[in-house]
Amino acid sequence: MSAPSASAATHDAGHSGEAHGHEESKYQIYVQIAMLLAVITGLEIVAVYLPFAKWLLITALVIMSIVKFMFVIFYFMHLRWDKPFCTILFFIGLVLAGGTALALIALFAAEASVPLPSL
Amino acid sequence: MSSHAGTIDHHHDPSTSTGIPNKKLLMWAFLASDCMFFATLISTHLIYRLHPPAGGLDPKKIFSIELTSFSTFILLMSSLMMALAVTAIQKNNVKSCRWSLLTTIFFGMIFLGCQVYEFEHFVHEKKMTLSNSMLGTTFYTLTGTHGCHVAIGVLWLSLMYVRSFKPAQPDPQRRRWFSRNLLHALVLVAALLLSLKVTLALVHAIQVEPTFGSALSHFVRGDFIYLVGMLLSFGGLVWFARPAGPVDFNERHAVDVEGMGLYWHFVDIVWIVIFTVVYLLEYLK
Amino acid sequence: MDALAKTDFQTKDGHASTQPALLAHPTAKTGLMMWLTTVDHKRIGFLYGVFALFFFLVGGVEALLIRAQLMFPNGTVLTAQQYNTMFTMHGTTMIFLAVMPLSAAFFNFIMPLQIGARDVAFPRLNAFSLWTFVAGAIILNIGWFLPQATHGAPDGGWYGYAPLTSKNFIPKHSIDYWVMGLQLLGVASIAASLNFIVTIINLRAPGMTMMRLPVFTWMTLVTAFLIILSFPAITIALVELMMDRNFGTNFFEVSGGGMPILWQHLFWIFGHPEVYILILPAMGIISEILPTFARKPLFGYPIVVFSGAAIGFLGFTVWSHHMFTTGMGAVATAAFALATMAIAVPTGVKIFNWIGTLWGGHIVMRTPMLFALGFVWMFMIGGFSGVMHAAAPADAQQNDSYFVVAHFHYVLIGGSIFALLAGIHYWFPLMFGRKVSEFWGKLSFWVIFVGFNVTFFPMHFLGLNGMPRRTFTYDSNLGWNTPNYIATIGAFVLGIGIMIYFIVMIYAFFKGEKVGKDVWDGRTLEWSLPVPPPEYNFRVVPTVHARDAWWYEKHHREEVAKENDEHAKAEDAHGGIHMPFGSIWPFVTSLGMLIGGIAISALDSNPAPGIHLRLALTLAGGAVMFIGIYFWALEGNEGYHLHLDRDGKPVEDPHAKH
Repeated sequence: MSAPSASAATHDAGHSGEAHGHEESKYQIYVQIAMLLAVITGLEIVAVYLPFAKWLLITALVIMSIVKFMFVIFYFMHLRWDKPFCTILFFIGLVLAGGTALALIALFAAEASVPLPSL
Repeated sequence: MSSHAGTIDHHHDPSTSTGIPNKKLLMWAFLASDCMFFATLISTHLIYRLHPPAGGLDPKKIFSIELTSFSTFILLMSSLMMALAVTAIQKNNVKSCRWSLLTTIFFGMIFLGCQVYEFEHFVHEKKMTLSNSMLGTTFYTLTGTHGCHVAIGVLWLSLMYVRSFKPAQPDPQRRRWFSRNLLHALVLVAALLLSLKVTLALVHAIQVEPTFGSALSHFVRGDFIYLVGMLLSFGGLVWFARPAGPVDFNERHAVDVEGMGLYWHFVDIVWIVIFTVVYLLEYLK
Repeated sequence: MDALAKTDFQTKDGHASTQPALLAHPTAKTGLMMWLTTVDHKRIGFLYGVFALFFFLVGGVEALLIRAQLMFPNGTVLTAQQYNTMFTMHGTTMIFLAVMPLSAAFFNFIMPLQIGARDVAFPRLNAFSLWTFVAGAIILNIGWFLPQATHGAPDGGWYGYAPLTSKNFIPKHSIDYWVMGLQLLGVASIAASLNFIVTIINLRAPGMTMMRLPVFTWMTLVTAFLIILSFPAITIALVELMMDRNFGTNFFEVSGGGMPILWQHLFWIFGHPEVYILILPAMGIISEILPTFARKPLFGYPIVVFSGAAIGFLGFTVWSHHMFTTGMGAVATAAFALATMAIAVPTGVKIFNWIGTLWGGHIVMRTPMLFALGFVWMFMIGGFSGVMHAAAPADAQQNDSYFVVAHFHYVLIGGSIFALLAGIHYWFPLMFGRKVSEFWGKLSFWVIFVGFNVTFFPMHFLGLNGMPRRTFTYDSNLGWNTPNYIATIGAFVLGIGIMIYFIVMIYAFFKGEKVGKDVWDGRTLEWSLPVPPPEYNFRVVPTVHARDAWWYEKHHREEVAKENDEHAKAEDAHGGIHMPFGSIWPFVTSLGMLIGGIAISALDSNPAPGIHLRLALTLAGGAVMFIGIYFWALEGNEGYHLHLDRDGKPVEDPHAKH
């Protein structure tokens, strides 16, 4: 059930000119981003075969993945144009999830967590 | 709720305290929860890659980076199609929305097909099963859970596609739409499953037989019935999609398509993480 | 209200039969069908409460059996196997089937009223959560009734540590039912919490900014976030356990390269936020009761809210303090010890704010206040023993001893239960229009208070003297005899106290003194309603001008009356009050999950007699669930409209062409 606001009649009054303008070019933006994502994916696949140091490649792959991730959530999932609270809500989950995953991996990477050799 | 003639502001719902539509907020909260869900699974996989059991399987010898890259591209394209479906219905363009939904489903099924093929290949040729190795345990559970999310998404998309045909007029058509809807949905699901079966059978035949010609006859001998079923169901889909007057599906329903779109994109971004962390990182070792 | 709801099947435009019969909206206003199809948050809250209180008694009986077994050394009341089942089920029942649903009862009934809403954002999803909770409760307890098929009720401990729960050590299905029951409860909790988050963020009355929300509503919000973010971890842990047991995977299977310690991590990543899920609603209730009965606003409202949020967040950073003795290494242990000590800070801050609320107030000693004061003191004691655990070296001795049992019972009974019992007394007049007798309420408090302390205070000493947890008996020469004996006496006194409380409450429900509106001269919006509240909650959605919105309304009556008249006209002109139809489909969906859940738990990966039946039943359950979802999706949510006169009675629509 929704709480009626005092002036519920103004349903499309909030429609801004800028929003209407960007509707038309959204198709273009989406296609461009899709192409960008495809290119980055290609780069990622090529990267694993390059003769650089492991730490450098891992960093590069992680950054590329993060870039793809951010493009999808901010553009395809529309966070860029939505109310900030949607972004905050999702990032609460994302940051907690990332932090927990990192903590778990750090815990298991510790010296004390290496499993004993098999009996 | 209230009926609107003319444009709806899809970014603002005045009946809510924040202006964010309730369904959209619900989906974002659910996705925040789903982040923890996948983080736990991914962590389990990574922990066991940190400490693999002695004599364990080597992913480099098992994974096929070509296949997985292909399916990654496919999923990205499906994400694009989904975004286009949402914008289409926000502009009240039902036909364009339907086509975009169908292509999203199509790409989603290709992704699933690649995954089914990959799993079969890993089990039969590479001898990696769920229970005979740590890698198998964590890999199948993680990617299988993701695949289940994709499958649920494909089902949801199919039901949304079928829903877009609900007629706008009152009775007597209204009573019949429900059974039509159900039948249409069943035919679509059948079409998807049969297409999957046919494609995989064809691929299998091509791999097993030396020439394309013998592969075709191998396929026809064994799986012709599925091909027939697939073609019949495609025919059914065309029949159900005949224009039949105004439909009760328009920009008022954009929020539902958008919610579904958020879910679909989320499944895509989880795959972005999985592709890097499960597949690509292995090739650096 | 019946006069307005058309008989037969309702459809969008009021005509009969343009919808297929299956999509027609149920119109039952009484009887079983009403309860099965209700989407009214107040009725759903009531059902949660009834089930929770029932399971609270079940958990209590399980506890008394444990204490009876431990009354004397070498007791013979229970066998070791039965004892394992008792402590497993006592813990699981109390946490998941008593405290959590009792909190949910209050979230459902009270929270929408506090924010000035007519219902939650997704009423059918709310009903689904309730019925899925019932399904989960059934699956958890089914082992008592089908001992042959299920091999008894779950017996692996409430935290089901690997490898005890593996097929090697517990080959029977008891653990599978435990897993499935918890999964369904998780689905129910997450669905409900998503609903509450959207409700609190989006359905607030005009003028109800976040910093004017009652603290109970804030705690509902923080708890909801904790639930949606922590349950996924246990969902995955349980999936991994189920796969180990039934599909031969190696997640916790050492011979396959698995590490049982992973279970502990995944479980406690859920399990620690879970204990904050258990206590934050209680803190919210206390934050409502203390100001009401101290006749003063809550001291330091912003700090109390912020501390609640801080506790919620920090709750995710401390999980391995349950694992100090597992050898994680010095760095990890120190990090978690520090975080655990840090979380004591916002908790302590809240206690100081509650004391500040009482200070200089005019204390009115009614039963809810007695329980609330008991909460502050008992929870503090539990907090002290908690801080003692935070010191990892000390915890090396305390862990897995009765010291821990003492700690968590002080925070869970002295904390959560006291607050929930306080809340029942506090909101009883609102929910049922009757008051519980002061004398008997206070008496029940004192018996409970004495019984509780006599039971659990000696356990601190038992723990420090080395008595381990989860052992079904002890020898007579270890120095543990007297405290155990005293604790058992205390437990039965506590049982008597709970009995008095229940009898008094049931009596009050049927025959209690009838009271009118706002019996405690409250501060928050739920007290502005007639008792019991009408189906539509508010005749006119209130406009909020300040924190403690009802208190403001009571002191600005004219201003508010004028506002309400204007809003009433506006809402009426818009078509009246929009009410949702009931629906059977959430119930059907949950029923499908119940059938499928039972059948899956009984599946074996090795073909065994009945494998086909089990598979068929699983598919049937899935089909029923899918049918439920399908009709739910298609039945539409247009609802019906009510027009009210000045007294809140429904009238015919003045503009109608019905």
